[in-house]
Amino acid sequence: MEKKNQENSQSKVLAFLGSDTFKGLLPFIGLVVIVVVMNILTEGKILTAKRLRLLLSQVYYPMIVATGVFFIMTLGSIDFTEGSTLGVASIVVSWLSFYSIPLAIVGGILTGAAIGALNGFFHVKFKLQSFIVTICTMYLFRGVCAYLTTETAIPASNTIKALDQDWLKITITVCVLLVAFFLFKFTRIGNDVKAVGSGETAARFSGVRTDMVKFLAFVCAGGLTGLAAFVNVIKVGSITSTAGNQLETQILISLVLGGLPITGGAKVRFSNIVVGTLMYTVLNNGLVMMGFESATQQLIKGIIFLIFVALTIDRKALKVIK
Amino acid sequence: MEKNILLRAEHIDKKFGITHAVNNVSLTIAAGEIRGLIGENGSGKSTFSQMLCGIYTIGGGTFTLDGKELHIRNQVEANNAGVSIIVQEMGTLSGLTVAENIFLGHEDPFVHHGIKDSRKMNQEAQRLLNEYGFTSIQASKMIDQYNFEDRKLIEIVKATYMKPKILIVDETTTALSQNGRLELYKIMDQVRADGRSVIFISHDLGEVLEHTDSVTILRDGEYIDTVQTKDVTEDDLKRLMVGREIGSAYYRTDYGTPISDEVVLKVDSVTVPGQIYNISFELHRGEILGFGGLSECGMHEVGKAVFGASWDRTGSVTLKDGTAINSIPTAIKHSVAYASKDRDNESIIINESIRNNVVLPSLDDLATNYVLSKKKLDSFANEHATRMQTKMQNVHQFISDLSGGNKQKVVLARWLGKGSDILVLDSPTRGIDVKVKQAIYALMGELKAEGKSIIMISEEIPELLGMSDRILIMKDGSINGEFMRRQDLTEEDLIAKMV
Repeated sequence: MEKKNQENSQSKVLAFLGSDTFKGLLPFIGLVVIVVVMNILTEGKILTAKRLRLLLSQVYYPMIVATGVFFIMTLGSIDFTEGSTLGVASIVVSWLSFYSIPLAIVGGILTGAAIGALNGFFHVKFKLQSFIVTICTMYLFRGVCAYLTTETAIPASNTIKALDQDWLKITITVCVLLVAFFLFKFTRIGNDVKAVGSGETAARFSGVRTDMVKFLAFVCAGGLTGLAAFVNVIKVGSITSTAGNQLETQILISLVLGGLPITGGAKVRFSNIVVGTLMYTVLNNGLVMMGFESATQQLIKGIIFLIFVALTIDRKALKVIK
Repeated sequence: MEKNILLRAEHIDKKFGITHAVNNVSLTIAAGEIRGLIGENGSGKSTFSQMLCGIYTIGGGTFTLDGKELHIRNQVEANNAGVSIIVQEMGTLSGLTVAENIFLGHEDPFVHHGIKDSRKMNQEAQRLLNEYGFTSIQASKMIDQYNFEDRKLIEIVKATYMKPKILIVDETTTALSQNGRLELYKIMDQVRADGRSVIFISHDLGEVLEHTDSVTILRDGEYIDTVQTKDVTEDDLKRLMVGREIGSAYYRTDYGTPISDEVVLKVDSVTVPGQIYNISFELHRGEILGFGGLSECGMHEVGKAVFGASWDRTGSVTLKDGTAINSIPTAIKHSVAYASKDRDNESIIINESIRNNVVLPSLDDLATNYVLSKKKLDSFANEHATRMQTKMQNVHQFISDLSGGNKQKVVLARWLGKGSDILVLDSPTRGIDVKVKQAIYALMGELKAEGKSIIMISEEIPELLGMSDRILIMKDGSINGEFMRRQDLTEEDLIAKMV
């Protein structure tokens, strides 16, 4: 009798571990575990006020970028251009910062949106898979960025550097998150995006303008990256050819760490953005503080990434990423 | 009395999560027997046979074939043990030649020192195809050049050339036209004549009665009974499947009801290159207009064209108020609904919840100033899914968990919720059991009574005869015949216009 009870509770535990509820909780558990582990390994240094402020300062612009990419990945698509978009948009922001700050913000957003539109156009019109298109445009705009910064780093005006205040960056980030959350949760945009991710043909036959939805997702993601470029310029002050380097993989890893199934679709959660970005930043800082070389850091990040993809992927929806 | 028993299944069991798909099923099949296996959707017949042929692992119990217990881990091992299956959906692989498909998993005889001898493989495949009488199929060509039906025929060759002891035919006939079906029946008879056996799974009870020796009935995963075919009628089988008496009202019984003169939809010289040519017809208020023909006659494309879903359509589709339907969003906005034959890909969003499937076309109507309320969506989905008597835990359950019949109910719930006045239903009862079929026919009757119009595209002739006010028969992409509803209209009348 007791044995049976034990078996019963054991199978309940197993069922729970395989359930969607657990998969939904996993990122939160992961965040707590990573913070605790890092805090122990760095002997409590990571949770000091000074460190936390530094940590936070690294969170803003990736979180803004991740919000846009979140919509693209919900579609079941992927975007590799954030790094190069951020680079090019940062250059535009720096140039325009000498004329007017609002102009710089708008210019950054428009530059990003234009790159997003280009990606979306090729993806939708020519029915190319998004990872093919965005890998191509990634090289293209990395090239543009390198070309513009060959001679010297591009400086931004002192007016824009003076804006490097936490409250401003927090406000921008929180606003982006709130607006995106509202659109995702309370308008048909969220439903449409998830429907395309879960079954594009059926979504089209249910009246979703699938091509338009996909195109707009890329434009918005580009625009948000452009806005993130403004936040980036505020912080760094001058732009070199490596601006935004590897940002795309950072965002991808963050979202997956946050529990976003790489296949997109109905099982995405908005919290994936926040949890994932925080997790990545803590992890990254912890590894640096523990004194690992950058090669070792990459190795460790790679392993953690692999484990998370394997744990969170929605096997029922398994197919090639669009 | 024990005839020569070929297959013995003992206490076969399978669970998927909380669903008990097959519950302790035992049966025996004699050598030289064609055994029908019937049951409603979700009764476990496919799961049972897929365990036998290695697609699913066996949850519990044993299969004994010819006195030897089977330990099968995949389909190739099943083939080697003498079990093969022809499945319901596409069972051939794109990107390979016909010959490569036929010998998939059994390439060894054609491989010498690690190099494949394609010429020999093609020759052997062609010899088999000719032997079966499918001479129009070329073994060396890519399989993608052949249509669904020819690919099914190729699959039949693939499943039967090695002379399996047990051949499982799982709902294959729904994909085949009359000719293809006859070929399949011939092969089944041949298997029986050789003293081997067939397990024949079908929803078409007429076909089951005509071509089997005995029939096993499953219900909710449990074994119900095995009967001799010659002792039973279609009604007996239905009763055993459902577990209660099916009412006599299956199809409509009214004849001679006048149809309104009001034209709600006018289709004028619609052409989709390679599919349909110069199609013109009018749909009246409260009319059920049937479309019939062979599976490749273009009738399925007509449904898409009316719904604005064809890419390169010419001609016009206009509503009573003059609105031209040229895109899916326009169609939906103006009260046209569409349920596709390809339910899992085109009708339902398979990896979504029931709720999100039901509300999708109605989101604009449900929003207040573009804002959606979760409560409103939930109650909307619940109302319409419940009206269709969908078997579900709640509306947040994922639709992929539902059986075919319940998925179709969700599709219909979606359009009922939208309040569409013109419904294009392509193969509305395809692969659906009698109980749900009955519910769908009853619903069509109700909708008709409310003055809604239905275009019903169907490959099942009895359904066309039983439900339509008017039937258009298509052949090679054009309309080839028109019949008004009549009691003395026969299947032969329609078939004569199809071929």
